[in-house]
Amino acid sequence: MTIIHNRPLDDIAETAPTLGGNAFTRAFSGGSLWRLIGMLVLILLLGFLTIYPLAMLLYGSLHSTPPGMAGEFNLNGYRSIMTTQNLIVLANTVGISLAKTIPSLTIAVFLAWIVARTDTPFRGALEVLITLPFFIPPILTAMAWGMLANPQVGVINMVWRWATGATDPLVNIYSYGGVIWHMCQYSIPFLFLFMVDAFRAMDPSLEESSRMCGASRWTTFRKITLLLMLPVLTSSFMLSFIKGIETFESALFFGLPAGIKVITTDIYESINHRATPDYQYATSLSFAIMGLMFLLVIWQWWMLRGKSFQTVTGKGFRPSVMELGPWRWVTFAICLMFFFITVVLPIGQLMLGSFFRFFGFYTYDMLTLEHYRAVFANSEFWRAVRNTMMLGLLGATATMALGAIVAYISVRTRWRGRSLIDGMAWLPWMMPGMVLGVGFLWAFAMLPGPIPIYGTVWALLLAYIALGTPVSVRVMTGAYHQLSYDLEECSRVHGASWFQTMWRIMVALAWPAFAVGWVLTFFGIMRELSASILLYSVGSETLAVVLMKLWANGNAEQVSVIGLMMMLLVIVFRWVQLSFIKSRISKL
Amino acid sequence: MASVTLENVSRMYGAVTAVDNVNLKIKSGEFVTLLGPSGCGKTTTLRMVAGLEKNTGGRISIGDNVVSDADKGYFVPSERRRLGMVFQSYAIWPHMTVFDNVAYPLRIRRRPDTEIRDRVMNALRLVEMDQYAERPSPALSGGQQQRVAIARALVFEPEVLLLDEPLSNLDARLRTQMGDDFRALQQRLKITALYVTHDQAEAMALSDRVVVMHGGRILQVGAPEEIYRRPENRQVAAFFGTPNLLNATVKDCRPNGGQYYKLSVEGQGWAGDCHAATEMPKGADVTVMVRPENLHVRNAGEVNGDLSWSGEVSQAIFRGSHRSIMVKTPAQTLHVEASSLSHVDIGRPVTVAAPVEAAWAVRN
Repeated sequence: MTIIHNRPLDDIAETAPTLGGNAFTRAFSGGSLWRLIGMLVLILLLGFLTIYPLAMLLYGSLHSTPPGMAGEFNLNGYRSIMTTQNLIVLANTVGISLAKTIPSLTIAVFLAWIVARTDTPFRGALEVLITLPFFIPPILTAMAWGMLANPQVGVINMVWRWATGATDPLVNIYSYGGVIWHMCQYSIPFLFLFMVDAFRAMDPSLEESSRMCGASRWTTFRKITLLLMLPVLTSSFMLSFIKGIETFESALFFGLPAGIKVITTDIYESINHRATPDYQYATSLSFAIMGLMFLLVIWQWWMLRGKSFQTVTGKGFRPSVMELGPWRWVTFAICLMFFFITVVLPIGQLMLGSFFRFFGFYTYDMLTLEHYRAVFANSEFWRAVRNTMMLGLLGATATMALGAIVAYISVRTRWRGRSLIDGMAWLPWMMPGMVLGVGFLWAFAMLPGPIPIYGTVWALLLAYIALGTPVSVRVMTGAYHQLSYDLEECSRVHGASWFQTMWRIMVALAWPAFAVGWVLTFFGIMRELSASILLYSVGSETLAVVLMKLWANGNAEQVSVIGLMMMLLVIVFRWVQLSFIKSRISKL
Repeated sequence: MASVTLENVSRMYGAVTAVDNVNLKIKSGEFVTLLGPSGCGKTTTLRMVAGLEKNTGGRISIGDNVVSDADKGYFVPSERRRLGMVFQSYAIWPHMTVFDNVAYPLRIRRRPDTEIRDRVMNALRLVEMDQYAERPSPALSGGQQQRVAIARALVFEPEVLLLDEPLSNLDARLRTQMGDDFRALQQRLKITALYVTHDQAEAMALSDRVVVMHGGRILQVGAPEEIYRRPENRQVAAFFGTPNLLNATVKDCRPNGGQYYKLSVEGQGWAGDCHAATEMPKGADVTVMVRPENLHVRNAGEVNGDLSWSGEVSQAIFRGSHRSIMVKTPAQTLHVEASSLSHVDIGRPVTVAAPVEAAWAVRN
């Protein structure tokens, strides 16, 4: 190794006498200057989206007054969250998340096994039905279940009283059970999506060899299948547990009325439901929960290190499905029942609610279309539709574009700083929407005067991009990993420039993943409530916020109308996604 | 050890017949190979013996016990058939050590710990893997995984050992060595083995008898040499290597004193003698098979054999162990495998000759 070999390419380029072109092309072909500028812009952008709100969170937690007002620095915020009451809140949060994760995981494993490994009829259709609840905004099902299982006027309890003559309600959604019940409806399809491919891809000869060794089906399931799935099960468990701690809607709708507080609702309450919003308390609590999340993520890494089994051989094999005989109609019925409870019941309730004059009074002479007329005549509703659509389209596109660039740089280049931007893009993964909302609240308020983002639609857009980036980076990273380097290099060798290569090869091959990620992000924005509810102001409401306001005013009938239309939108979108995108690519 | 009997065994997938009326008897201690191209039904046949697949017709017995009878709706599940099986992917459980993998069948049978320890170590010693007992199984190479899979299949002394293309995931050199090792082990332990492969060389080297399958049917059953030298039809003949298959007409047919018939045949521009399994009428169309390694290139006009063709050399390729020579004759281009030391010029007129034992005729 000599000194010459260690010299950067640029030095040589500068001294090379035959180099043609102007300074611009020279700099570009060397890649150094423009690459540097590009990376700087990217780092600044990601910094603004992730580091800045995080730093403001720390700042706010130490600051004694609300954002934008003069105050002093002290530790009062942290002192005020160190209470016995907050210990209960913490215990509630962790306890509820555990209590929903365990049954969800059990049911999801069972459903994934039914769909992937048995000869249950119509498995393809069942898979679509089982995963549908994941795409429905939780606020809709929360409201529907609030009406279905209301202890006084809920349909379930009314039917129960009518059928048995009892006076006590059968179920009360405003309870621990109610919160967990509602959370499970999202965890199960989420976990199902996460695990079903692992079930499907497992080499069946691993199980068959156990049977050949003399083990029965049940022993094989316990000793081989389940233990082989253990790494996937553990990571599913951790992920679901973390998501459970972040959840806002279930605890907001069913926990607060019953006096059950979790961390996210406590943050929300201290800002929105107190005579004077206690920002320092909320911010300190947000920072504390971030610390908790950080510990959980570290724990997850520690648990999963080196624990992944390669159970897929890549050999073409016929996935062996278990023949259930007449039992296959039982498993079919179980899957259908899941769909019925999680989708049909809420939609039915929303329909019921939308056509009757008063919620809870279902008689023939109460039928009306007045709620539809009221909603369609409501300018606030139309504004929210416009906002949501605009945020969804713009937000999903921007998030995926950002994710595609970050993923490309971190996967396919050797540029300096690529792990920095990868890490920055991943940071919001640890931030629940509520926490990021509080962070942005501070961040926007602290911006200098000429940048009036605070209280506009753009505030929401930036928060959505920050929240969606980890997922979009992950989706695109997976896509780039699957593309061989040869494709890119071959294009360059055959005379295409870097831009031509990107456009004709990388974009052309990676667009299906981009589309999948886009739809996921769009759904994510549609259902986002926790950050929106902190960052919206008059004129920038989203549909979810409008629903919240109507619900708070006791207008369950109009909620039903809007909810029904959102449901419809989700189902149409999901259908379009499945029939157009899935026909071109294999995944999701 | 036990015998295996298949009587009229069939397997339908909807309207598709994967295995069609297979009859086969495997004697105790015999090594039988199912050979055929992919999709010929060989793996399905093996899986039906294993009980991993139900036969839709016929009856399968292991030893004196019927394990599956489609007509009576009788079916013994895999775990009660007392069989050992080695899978193509080896199916070594990645969450267990080598020892635990091999001990699994014994633990399932609730044997005492000391017995498990002894028998597992014995089985591992048999495949020379005893020093790897405590290794986590993902840390094994392909060849080692294969040995563990064999040890696991043998550890509980099964009635019959089933092997589904166990060598196909190994590289060529290791494949030959593992094959030879396994054959020696089978001979020593006198295990009944049913082996599936698509590799003809493997089938010939390992088996007592080879079953050639095609399209779900058995084409021929016989000792490797028998099948290689005296195939029953053109399909079996064409399956092994790249033989020269020549169309000809029977001129004369007589017993040759042994169990075969000697034919005089005539083709386009050539005539000569060959052997056949059955008596054939004069004027019948037959295919004469001559293996490339049994043909010899002579100087033009020099007749030194029972069959000869004259033509000119069109191609000569040096392949290391031998030289492939293509000779263009009026009938067709003949493929000759000559010694790599021989030298021929392209375009030279030559005579190609073969002894009568090397030519085998089958009816078209």
